[in-house]
Amino acid sequence: MIQDSLTRIWLLSKKNITLYIKKGPVLIFGLMFPFFMTLSWVIGRKISLNLVFIGIIAMTSFFTATAISPVVLPIETREKSLERILSSPISLNEILIGIILASTLYSLFITSIITIIFVLIFSVGFNSLITIFLMFFGIGLMSILGSLLGLLVAANPTDMTSDVMIIMNLIKFPLLFISGIFVPLQMMPFNLVFISFLSPITFLTDLLRFCVEGNNFFLVQFDILMLIFWIISLSIVNYILHKKTMPKRLSETASKKKMMMKKNMR
Amino acid sequence: MIEISQNQNLITELVAIKVINLIKRFGSLVAVNDVSFEINQGEIVGILGPNGAGKTTTIRLLTGVFQLENNAKIEIFGDDITHNPTKYKKNFGIVPEISNAFSDYSVWQNLMFSGGIYGISKDEIEKRSKKLLTQFNLIDKMYFKTKTLSKGLKQRLNLCLALLHDPPILILDEPTSGLDPISVNLMRNRILKLKEEGKTILITTHDMREAQNMCDRILIMNKGKIIADESPDTLREQFKSTSTILFKIDGVISSEQERILSKIVKLVKDKNGYYVFSSTNALRDISNLFQTSKENDIKISDLKIKETSLEEVFIHLIKDDLTSEEGMAK
Repeated sequence: MIQDSLTRIWLLSKKNITLYIKKGPVLIFGLMFPFFMTLSWVIGRKISLNLVFIGIIAMTSFFTATAISPVVLPIETREKSLERILSSPISLNEILIGIILASTLYSLFITSIITIIFVLIFSVGFNSLITIFLMFFGIGLMSILGSLLGLLVAANPTDMTSDVMIIMNLIKFPLLFISGIFVPLQMMPFNLVFISFLSPITFLTDLLRFCVEGNNFFLVQFDILMLIFWIISLSIVNYILHKKTMPKRLSETASKKKMMMKKNMR
Repeated sequence: MIEISQNQNLITELVAIKVINLIKRFGSLVAVNDVSFEINQGEIVGILGPNGAGKTTTIRLLTGVFQLENNAKIEIFGDDITHNPTKYKKNFGIVPEISNAFSDYSVWQNLMFSGGIYGISKDEIEKRSKKLLTQFNLIDKMYFKTKTLSKGLKQRLNLCLALLHDPPILILDEPTSGLDPISVNLMRNRILKLKEEGKTILITTHDMREAQNMCDRILIMNKGKIIADESPDTLREQFKSTSTILFKIDGVISSEQERILSKIVKLVKDKNGYYVFSSTNALRDISNLFQTSKENDIKISDLKIKETSLEEVFIHLIKDDLTSEEGMAK
């Protein structure tokens, strides 16, 4: 039973990666945005290599994780393939986990490549093996968290990816700016530090600072706990919202069609 | 021998689908309104109805895409699936009106994905897929992306996808809509062959001829309700009282002869040169027609009586339903 379920989740996530990795919104918001954000942040400023590494890793894991998960459901609603999935023996949980897994794997893959590049070419170092493990653990948590955030935005039962991406960007950028990537938490006024709690990226950035520089603001355990807290909260909200809106994805179009027909009959 | 025939009766009378009090609302609009029906194993049942009658919504409720409301209940082969539709979805093979295969996947990838979802082993999926692709003349298109296929080929792929896990029940939502005559023919033959193989088939269609030729029973839906549930022959029988009579006259008739004929029947000439009239008492009118033509030297060279088609029955029923509703409103 569990093995069947895991097989279905794997098939769904494999399908999500294969079909949506090359879609415009995924390339633009997942790869180009973090690249150009980093460029505009770094060029002309004297920022240490370690800080650039921390910033780029935090941004990449967050941006790539929030790239695939918001687009899958709108595209599949528009192309009607969602109806095929819903009429197959697949549960709502399996559909959602399939999307999260695809998004997480994509994020982990891209972030790992950038980490390897920085380690090999720019010789970014770590304090110990445990910090390397902690860094990847943190990136993993952020990838899951970002996927969940993207999926949450996709709970809006629309078939337009642009609708979802607009809301996604409205949420993404403020979260990024208050996260301590651009201005370290140590240099922020107390009020802003308080606000930075609202952004999960804050805790990844702080964890990365510990791994690379050793000067973090919070306790490492607190950073990890907060990331896990965000993951659990977003998972619950996602399940509740998608359970409510999933049937609407098909009924919205069905009711629109019927309303139009009613209008025509009059 | 007796035992065998009794068993055969039991098999044929097994209820494959039982639907009770199906309701679906979209806001204030009631798309499906208290629909109940049964389909026996091995039957082909057609759901007919105008656009917006609730056919597709009924199918979506049946296949677990929409959640059931109120006291609605669905039984598949006697098992109540109301509270666990996911488990029973393996019983259905669904062919939608508009292709819903993954457009960026190839034909082969779609089959591999679908088979995997239904828990079939990789080797078995490959074996079954090749067999189905050969049967549906799609084998040379197996590596083509689905979005590059024509509508007819996409529909064949949908049927392959629906049959891959060998379900006992097939649900076809307007499967021949928009297809060319060759594809329609291929699809119809396949559906009839599937019936022979013992599949239970529920089909929604606009095509009356299709319903008339293929279905054992027809449910006519209008405004979310079932307004008729009969075999095509019974439905036609109910409206047989009205027949269309066509006849041809040798040579040219004078205006006087035409005036005399018009006294018996209201004449309209069709594009093939036939005089056409409707009759509620065909025997009496034909006898009068022959009598009058003999008396007035009119030579009738050809005479046809057209049976009431299912299309005419359908229009009749929908019209009656609308009229009675208007009456009630007044």
